[in-house]
Amino acid sequence: MLNANSAAPAAPTPQNILDTATRLRWEVSGGVHESLVEAIYTDAARIADRAVIYPDKPPRFNLDRAIDQIVTSRLFGFPLMLLLFTLVFWLTISGANVPSDLLGRFFLDTIHPLLKSASAAIGLPWWLDGLLIDGIYLATAWVVSVMLPPMAIFFPLFTLLEDFGYLPRVAFNLDNIFKKSGAHGKQALSMMMGFGCNAAGVVATRVIDSPRERLIAIITNNFALCNGRWPTQILIASLFIGALVPAYIGGLISALAVVGVATLGVLLSFAVSWSLSRTVLRGEASTFSLELPPYRPPRFWQTIYTSLIDRTLYVLWRAIVFAAPAGAIIWLTANIQVGGISIAEHIINALNPVGWLLGLNGVILLAYIVAIPANEIVIPTMLMMTVLITGVNGGAGAGVMFQGNDAQTMSMLQAGGWTLLTAVNLMLFSLIHNPCSTTIYTIYKETGSAKWTAVSALLPLIMGFVVTFLVAQVWRLVAGM
Amino acid sequence: MTNKIEEPTVIPLQTPSGHACETCPAHRAGNLVRLGIDMTDWDYVIALAGNPNTGKSTIFNALTGLRQHTGNWPGKTVSRAEGGYSYGDHRYKLVDLPGTYSLLSTSLDEEVARNFILFGQPDVTIIVADATRLERNLNLVLQVLEITDRAVLALNLVDEAKRHGLKVDDRSLARDLGIPVVPMAARRREGMPELLEAVHEVATGKVVCKPHRIKSEPPTLKKAVSELVAQLTASFPTLPNPRWVAMRLLDGDQQIMEALQRGELGDLTRDDPGQTTGHLELQLEASHA
Amino acid sequence: MNEPAILLIISLVCIGVALWLFWPDRGLFWRWQRARQMTERVLIEDALKHMYAYEEQGRHPTLESLAGALRTSDDTIANLLTAMQERELITLTAGNASLTTRGRDYALHIIRAHRLWESYLASKTGYDAADWHSQSEWREHELSPTDTNALAAELGHPRFDPHGDPIPTAEGEIVDRQDQQQLAQLRLNQPARIVHLEDEPQTVYAQLLAEGLHLGMQIIVIERTEQRIRFWGDGEEHVLAPLLANNVSVTPIQRDEVESGPFHSLDSLVRGESAQVTRISPRLQGAERRRLLDLGILPGTEIKAEMVSPSGDPTAYRVRGALIGLRKEQAAMIQIRSQDAPYEDAPHQGASPKDDYDEAAFVHAQNGEVSAAKKGELA
Repeated sequence: MLNANSAAPAAPTPQNILDTATRLRWEVSGGVHESLVEAIYTDAARIADRAVIYPDKPPRFNLDRAIDQIVTSRLFGFPLMLLLFTLVFWLTISGANVPSDLLGRFFLDTIHPLLKSASAAIGLPWWLDGLLIDGIYLATAWVVSVMLPPMAIFFPLFTLLEDFGYLPRVAFNLDNIFKKSGAHGKQALSMMMGFGCNAAGVVATRVIDSPRERLIAIITNNFALCNGRWPTQILIASLFIGALVPAYIGGLISALAVVGVATLGVLLSFAVSWSLSRTVLRGEASTFSLELPPYRPPRFWQTIYTSLIDRTLYVLWRAIVFAAPAGAIIWLTANIQVGGISIAEHIINALNPVGWLLGLNGVILLAYIVAIPANEIVIPTMLMMTVLITGVNGGAGAGVMFQGNDAQTMSMLQAGGWTLLTAVNLMLFSLIHNPCSTTIYTIYKETGSAKWTAVSALLPLIMGFVVTFLVAQVWRLVAGM
Repeated sequence: MTNKIEEPTVIPLQTPSGHACETCPAHRAGNLVRLGIDMTDWDYVIALAGNPNTGKSTIFNALTGLRQHTGNWPGKTVSRAEGGYSYGDHRYKLVDLPGTYSLLSTSLDEEVARNFILFGQPDVTIIVADATRLERNLNLVLQVLEITDRAVLALNLVDEAKRHGLKVDDRSLARDLGIPVVPMAARRREGMPELLEAVHEVATGKVVCKPHRIKSEPPTLKKAVSELVAQLTASFPTLPNPRWVAMRLLDGDQQIMEALQRGELGDLTRDDPGQTTGHLELQLEASHA
Repeated sequence: MNEPAILLIISLVCIGVALWLFWPDRGLFWRWQRARQMTERVLIEDALKHMYAYEEQGRHPTLESLAGALRTSDDTIANLLTAMQERELITLTAGNASLTTRGRDYALHIIRAHRLWESYLASKTGYDAADWHSQSEWREHELSPTDTNALAAELGHPRFDPHGDPIPTAEGEIVDRQDQQQLAQLRLNQPARIVHLEDEPQTVYAQLLAEGLHLGMQIIVIERTEQRIRFWGDGEEHVLAPLLANNVSVTPIQRDEVESGPFHSLDSLVRGESAQVTRISPRLQGAERRRLLDLGILPGTEIKAEMVSPSGDPTAYRVRGALIGLRKEQAAMIQIRSQDAPYEDAPHQGASPKDDYDEAAFVHAQNGEVSAAKKGELA
């Protein structure tokens, strides 16, 4: 043994050992870490050489390479990507319509009256009945029926692509664009996931193994227009923007408006990534590597099962946990009266001036405050509150969320004083505002940092205020001339 | 058809270090609890390690079926799956470690995998390797074998390898690595019974591994390691992996250094090793402010 | 005037003011905070550092030199020196200030904190090399001896900072580098290795970095005139003004230590070509270096460029059977020896460089005969 201290009778203390290690560290030529890694790989290569018998001639046709040559080719790479993702989104949107509708009718038109009559039969006091059934139950039912079907389609499709090995190629194809904004190519994947649900998108950033780029991806994920916000966009666009043009192209124009908002979100996330990587995140460590795993035929049922369990139900459960108390609060604000009018009306009146500055109104702001838990309930909450303060016909009673057909909705909103500006700014604000509480909570869990959670929540909110404010003033300036 | 290892590949010369009884479980129940694993209903705990994309989760799912539970590692945002199965008279708890390429760096995944093998001392560590990328996978295998003596190599995707015209000689591999090697095609459930049997044999001490130790270090590193090993074994005679600890100390691994300093080596020192750098991260954040 | 216009103007002014106040680093608020931290202690510590540096060079710090270094008035310095004397950090005799043992130890602690923090920034964070020094100028005053020791332990007790300056130990011992000389003084045709790049002033340091100089780089001076110093290093010709060259320290090496090229980097590998890694450039440190090592990119590793992203970057390389995408900047840090075994369908076979090319270039360089044309070909 070469131990210099072996003559000492007592065993070396931990401090002795550490000191020895510190001294010896500098005696290893070429650095300990590199010598070690080199030694391991040398042994690995020797063992592998002995164990692996390579074919005499490399096989003529290599399927992996052939697929790679197509999916990363200059000619087909991008169009193929576009095609695949369009297909995924189309399947999600068109496939979710029917079950969403069914679930909605089941929960709202069948179960809800049943519950109401049951509570009447057992003689629940009106306030408990309202709080539990009109508040908590309705909000939860709403979130489930809007959220579950698209997620149950989107996540498995996405996971299949992931399992097959295609998604790393997407990151590979797009990395250069993300690199220019200081981000990682894999952010494309978490963004895509964000179109389904931002909370899932934030979890998906785990694949980014570089700390700086991962934080960027987490903070900017909110700019991917999530599933909970699509319905708001589509409704407002078809009511207000589609109505600007003749009916036969109304659908097309309103669809373009929604796509425009989503595109704006993507551009914003590049811009924010760029500025974050150059300012507050400058000091975070950054390493890049992108492994392109071999293609594997996806295991269909396995994938569907695990993606339903791991992603869909996980996200849904969190949304429900947050939506239930929101339902209670919505019902309470609409039903507790102070000085003759409800709390909701008090808040709306207080928020109206701010709403006016932002080109919105108090109802929208209040809806966004109580709908922090889930963007899905923004529209029903807004409609309920509009009915509450305007007293127009329709609605289902104070604190009871509802959604009617387009014509009814339009007339209610117009009674509430909505203009084209309100609609445009609502679309913008729906894109650029704080993430929902599920996402905020997920960000906190993922980063473990209150600071980055606050940044992710407040940055988009402030941006949303600035953007809607500027649009409102410029709009009024131009309209006033 | 079984693919059991030939006798000469595994030489039962030594008893597993630190354990008087060969057939008793080797794991540390106390440490496992701190790692979030409850061992009350189980006889053995098996860790599943491997590179990403090697079919690790296929094997995990095949072994555990629906009896699995997913969540996060305590205090970490690293997802974890655990499940269990019975084989023979024993109940095995299977813990899926995060897929990593190495255990030497500082990523969270590697930390979790490393800590589990080091501090949890699983009865058997199944290392899943991709037969089509053996050299790359052996990097992790050799590192795991520096930490634990009780391992089985699941040589997965041999069907893929065949498709590419590669042949992997599992006997030569078992001889060189000193652990049982089971060729598998987990997707088609080929090799599963053999894997179960190999795990059983290692867990019960029927087969005692004599794992490969890294040999190609340059002389200066070799000398430094042996000097440090001498000191370590003088202080901690029961330390199962003094060579590996010595290498980590030389490399300046903060966690191992602290584990040593607190005299808790061989024990789980902390539930949240992230604290090590937390101090500095705070300072770094302060410098932005 | 109508209301929206007024609101718009007010808000734009507000945004402007907010940016002016809170712009990262340069905002008024941050400046004010820094000025507030400019306490007497900080001044004393800076003064100690300055005096230590002067005494090391065998010069006497003066009131003027201190005022210049600390960017304050002579009056402030005079008060400062009195305060320092009271704390037994310096002795003032016949108008000459000199450090006491205590003052010297204090100065060494500050230097230790500074250089350790630079090492920390270099190996654990993503800050640019040009930012290390200025960040450490602040941090050095905030780290207590306990913090410094913890930092040293975390970094594995480094002995040199990323600029090549020795880091004093906790006991105040500091390595004395006798064998180094300034690049400007190096003999022609004497191979040498860069051991230190002075990080002050920052603009000069940034120029040195931009020239691609790094610690451990082997160089050989091929021409020295009043206006410029021309030298060869990492397979490229570099030119520095003597003023800049004064900030580079080198230590001569034996001829048999000289690494004979080739100095191609991985990013020059054309799709379909294979090569053998010779080393990862010493410029790449910390986590990024470890990542490449973990991927199995080591001296001697076979590497092949397999496909290029349709957006031009990154490129996917085949390493030990795995396919790994690396960005251009990373590939530039991996030095290779190219092999004459291009892939059958390689598009640019003719352009593949010859094996012995760089060796020849280096020999030419030693004779001072590198032509511009060759440099162009190499690049």
